[in-house]
Amino acid sequence: MSGYKQIAVLLVLLGMLFSGVVVAEEEKPKEIVLGASVPMTGPFAFAGIQLNAGLNDFVDWVNEQGGIEGHRVRYIGEDTGYQTDQSVAVFRRITSRADVNFYFGDSTAFQQTINRELERRDILLTGASFASELNDPERYPLQFMLGPDYSEQVGMLLEYIAEETPGASVMLIHSDTEFGRDPIRAARERAEALGLEIAGTIVTPPGASDISAEALKLRRAGPDYAIFHGYVLSPIPEFIRRARQMRLETKFMGTFYTMDQTMIDEMGEAAEGFMGVMPYRYFYDESGPAPIMDVIREINDEYRTNTYVQGWLTGLLMKTIAGETLRAGKALTGSNMRETLDSLEDIDTGGIFGQPVNFRGNSIPLGRIYRADVEAGRMVPVSDWIELE
Amino acid sequence: MRIGSPKQSYAADEALFRTPTQWTWFGILLVSLALYPFMADQYWLYLACLISINIISATGLNILTGYTGQVSLGQAAFMGVGAYTVAWLDTHTGAPFFVNLLAGAGMATVAGVIFGLPSLRVKGLYLAIATIAASFILQFVFINWESVTRGMRGMNIDPPQVMGTALADPDQFYWLVVPIMVVMVLGAANLFRTRIGRAFIAIRDRDISASVLGIHLPTYKLMSFAIASFYAGMAGGLWAYFFGAINPESFPLLMSIFLLAAIIVGGMGTILGGILGAIFMTLTPEALRYGVDLLSPFIEDASVILSPVRTMVFGLLIVGFLLFEPHGLAEIWRRVRRFFHLWPFRN
Repeated sequence: MSGYKQIAVLLVLLGMLFSGVVVAEEEKPKEIVLGASVPMTGPFAFAGIQLNAGLNDFVDWVNEQGGIEGHRVRYIGEDTGYQTDQSVAVFRRITSRADVNFYFGDSTAFQQTINRELERRDILLTGASFASELNDPERYPLQFMLGPDYSEQVGMLLEYIAEETPGASVMLIHSDTEFGRDPIRAARERAEALGLEIAGTIVTPPGASDISAEALKLRRAGPDYAIFHGYVLSPIPEFIRRARQMRLETKFMGTFYTMDQTMIDEMGEAAEGFMGVMPYRYFYDESGPAPIMDVIREINDEYRTNTYVQGWLTGLLMKTIAGETLRAGKALTGSNMRETLDSLEDIDTGGIFGQPVNFRGNSIPLGRIYRADVEAGRMVPVSDWIELE
Repeated sequence: MRIGSPKQSYAADEALFRTPTQWTWFGILLVSLALYPFMADQYWLYLACLISINIISATGLNILTGYTGQVSLGQAAFMGVGAYTVAWLDTHTGAPFFVNLLAGAGMATVAGVIFGLPSLRVKGLYLAIATIAASFILQFVFINWESVTRGMRGMNIDPPQVMGTALADPDQFYWLVVPIMVVMVLGAANLFRTRIGRAFIAIRDRDISASVLGIHLPTYKLMSFAIASFYAGMAGGLWAYFFGAINPESFPLLMSIFLLAAIIVGGMGTILGGILGAIFMTLTPEALRYGVDLLSPFIEDASVILSPVRTMVFGLLIVGFLLFEPHGLAEIWRRVRRFFHLWPFRN
């Protein structure tokens, strides 16, 4: 490369560096801005892409309906690759270019990291994380969850087990990650309170392929139930396949991120009888009145995942909270909206949850147990909606 | 055109800045750094702070790997030691931030020396694998030493206070991290004007010859690990203050690979290489977002379609550097400088 060309390249790079300098947008009246750090690449891209689509579709829909109390909604979502420093960069990028009212976070680490900044900027945040750590309004006053935290999800599974098979033994199988370890301590305590026996815990790397030693441990324990947590797919099918080969009668269960129909489909035959907890209605669940689910089905001809529905739930809760705050004549600051959220009771989610919901702490401890029916290609509810006390 | 810079003493020959032109440019750089916060928004200041932290850590790794030839994949774990030390001290003692940062760097130094011990027996890829052990062992400690680290729940850290003012926003934190970065980079550059630095280079070039020349290999190798870990600890402490929250997954093995890639892309064995590499690795993914922004009006769902492309372009750029510019960005910089030295007669 000649010297001139190298200088030209250098200048272009410098231009790119300084192109973001001093760009202050004028404040736009009558607009509610929803920013989002979304993992559209990386290990959680499968969820992020759907969530992004859900948020986009919700915003189009709500603006067609006249917005929220006359305010148009603007959505700005950017990819993070599921990396905390990139998520923070995206937060900084979006908040320095728009007056953000709501924010969607993509991970526990991001939501912990950005907490201080939320309080300073007075922005209300929700996110993809169901980490029990975040279910603490004193430490995380400007955050809320879109369902039960992981401890509550496992708690619901244990409640179901205790009712179906009193005194049953349960094996906890979790990934060696912050995500996987989250509910284990609480699960032990709840199992003891419910008179269930914890047969042991098995820890594997997320996405592990060789689980020979762990499968033998499962065989030795021979539990009535095994609860997976901290995985998306692998090594769940392999565990189930090995258990079937070893003629174990164990029933297998999972939590939110394992429970989407696409994951169940990928498990193939191994999924037959697989159970788990899901706070939202499935796309194809037409069992009760659910006007928002009807809208979602109207917009989409084909199956949409639970994370797509989660995007709609984010928007709906934002609509409810912002609407109430505006009707009370208050500004859309994080603390005002948190006050509103705390005052809300029996929130209507348009049927996404099977009944009106209430926040307890930062979470909504409501969900239902489903079982996979492989032949029908569907998740079938096997319990009523369970609301934890 | 500059035709020469005569040196009349050994001190002049070893000087960091040898000509008035170099001093002038260094002065311009310092003034630019001082003016930057008044021109940039919070996003660009956030990136400047992140780049500064990465420069400190990459410079430390460059001392160890680029100058001493000891390949390490434990730099992120040592950053973790610094970060956890700072978080613990901040939570339990309320000591001033600078004391915490030095203590964090000190603890990381101790960890670096311990995990550097294998370097006395193995080198090259074997040493790289041995230093991966540092990542795993320290990760295990971060997860399981709950009474100190709070395990998977992680720790929150308040922003550092200077005379009652919290350095919470990037525009405030900038004034802490950039001066520290400048001092540490100058420190690293000066290191190689001393016997210690020259010993490191001798070990890298041929350890047996270095030993014959009277360099005590165990001492100097461990010293290199200690200095690199000190830099990592300081970077980790600043990381903890900057982000305000850490957990055991904050400093993964991938971060060590990121730092190693930064010094390879930047140019190993040059101080400028560590700086340019850290800037490139931090800034390129962000700069590529502008490509996505530019194409958004023309492509529906641009962010969904182009985000993976952005990641691929980033990967290709790194491969491109390795293929076409194996000496890194620092070599390009040197060529640009040479061009101006001789301008307008040759390029």
